Amino acid sequence: MAEIQIEGVTKRYAATEVLKRLDLNVTQGEFMVLLGPSGCGKTTLLRMIAGLETPSTGRILMNGQDITLAPPAKRDVGMVFQSYALYPHMTVRQNISLGLRLRKIDEKEITRRIEFVANLVQIAPYLDRKPRALSGGQRQRVALARVIAREPSVSLMDEPLSNIDAQLRMVMRAELLRIHRKVGMTTIYVTHDQEEAMGLGDRITVMNFGHVEQIGAPDEIYSRPANAFVARFIGAPRMNLINARYRAGANSIEAPGIHAPFSASEFSAPSGESIILGFRGEDATPGEAAAGEVTIEGRIDVVEHLGAQMEVHLRLDDGQEAVLRRPRNESWREGDRMRLVVPARNLHLFDAESGAALRTAYH
Amino acid sequence: MKPKLTTFLHGLFLLAIAVVILFPLYWMVASSFKPSGQIFQMPPAWLFHPQLHGYGAAIREGDMLRALLNSVIVTLGAVALGIAVGAPAAYGLARYSFKGSAQVQFWYVTNWMLVPVVVLIPFYLLASDLRLINNPIVLIVIYQTFVVPLVVWLLVDQFRAVPVALEEAALLDGMSRFGIFLRITLPLTLPGMTVAAILAGIFAWNDLLYAFILTPSDFARTAPTVMMTYLGGYIIPWGRVMASAVMITGPVVIGGIAIHKYIARGLTLGAVK
Repeated sequence: MAEIQIEGVTKRYAATEVLKRLDLNVTQGEFMVLLGPSGCGKTTLLRMIAGLETPSTGRILMNGQDITLAPPAKRDVGMVFQSYALYPHMTVRQNISLGLRLRKIDEKEITRRIEFVANLVQIAPYLDRKPRALSGGQRQRVALARVIAREPSVSLMDEPLSNIDAQLRMVMRAELLRIHRKVGMTTIYVTHDQEEAMGLGDRITVMNFGHVEQIGAPDEIYSRPANAFVARFIGAPRMNLINARYRAGANSIEAPGIHAPFSASEFSAPSGESIILGFRGEDATPGEAAAGEVTIEGRIDVVEHLGAQMEVHLRLDDGQEAVLRRPRNESWREGDRMRLVVPARNLHLFDAESGAALRTAYH
Repeated sequence: MKPKLTTFLHGLFLLAIAVVILFPLYWMVASSFKPSGQIFQMPPAWLFHPQLHGYGAAIREGDMLRALLNSVIVTLGAVALGIAVGAPAAYGLARYSFKGSAQVQFWYVTNWMLVPVVVLIPFYLLASDLRLINNPIVLIVIYQTFVVPLVVWLLVDQFRAVPVALEEAALLDGMSRFGIFLRITLPLTLPGMTVAAILAGIFAWNDLLYAFILTPSDFARTAPTVMMTYLGGYIIPWGRVMASAVMITGPVVIGGIAIHKYIARGLTLGAVK
């Protein structure tokens, strides 16, 4: 069990800066998810914690001890690779026990641990098979078992669920949570799937272009995105972001079909007149506005039936689009006009230039 | 009807090729067992009483057993040294990219294309200065000019096919770099390693040029060189020539059959996913 501190870590490959002075703390026993689009540096960060890459500048501390340059074997970290990286010429049992043998753990203890992890991840019947004879999900479990058996201070996971099919992924996600609750290892988990991040993480670090956009609990990131990037990245369907104008004199934010009364005390001033107004589809309901509510009006462009719900694409009068899901028993038709009401507290405001969140108070 | 006809023609074609390839081998083996009077008999003596005259003469007068032993020593030595030097070189080229690594790799390949006779005289002078003429070590070392490039060329791709993640997993498991090479990478590249070893072995086994010049004495001769000594007199002892040829070709054919299995397997193991 351990805590990890990343202090001002930068990583450069030739001319490109993959990580830019990144700071991050992972507390003991925490399930931390590193989330971001591909190429944002999340895997590089993970590999630096593992010791497979060296930071160009900055320090990595484990329990207060500087491990920036320590070799991987000396760090007491385990890693689940995206490709699982099971040794193909060894049985499942040998795959799990190799790391234990190399650490001079005695045979009785090795047997005990193999039994424990085999039951935990349900691979007991396959212990004497080779990886080739296992399905993707089973290999995934073996890779997990190999790390858990080592009882490392920190376990690192690099998109471990990305190579298995969607249904199994849901099962494994629940499984991962169950195992984490039971074993309580400090875990750093890399993914580009926001849904996976929301489901698994105690906290999520949202990354983009080598820096941190926001760190917080899933709910916080969902309801209080720090900037337009996070707002756009988290949630499915994604948050609607509408380009609008802030009229200081009229104390309102306007776009064709939108009227949002706002007083300047509720948000910090944008750098210009342009402002981005954000709302999630599930916060909008069709109807007439009451006090403190915002109206958004447009014409229905496309209606997609998804089973339990339908996805309604609304086109505002100036051509901007908003998407929301409605129950299937409502009768929205393409070409109809639709008026939505969003409570002011569910409205997000971002600076059009920097993308930073502007609201100081949500009420 | 039609598919059957094409199958038939296909089979006929393959049969024809097989005959062209196998007939000389048959002729060699058959002649080695024929009494000397029947070797050139026309029409050929398809049925004859096999006898071991040729083999006896090859062993007694040609000292074939000693020559074969010399060949075995030189071949095993050349293969062992070639793998010991070539495998780490190939591993380095496969795993690390450094300034000039592509050039180094290309240099290996071009070395393999070297015409052997071009370097024969410098090698002879060098071996003579070092007093290594008639010493099997000189052949073992000189064969590296061709064996190391062959091994490197074959193994670079083999090592590249082993996922880096496997080695990283082993690194995190606490294994040393050399331990990883020995216990993870090597077992996974064993088929390729075997192919490289056998091809290198066939080269060393078959070499006549260097052996003829650098180990000329009776006690140091390798098997192919012995064949040359048969050609000096007024009559060529064909029975003995054919018997020696069988003894020299045998191991090569066995080696070829052995790697055929690996080559057919496509040299891949499907390590991850």
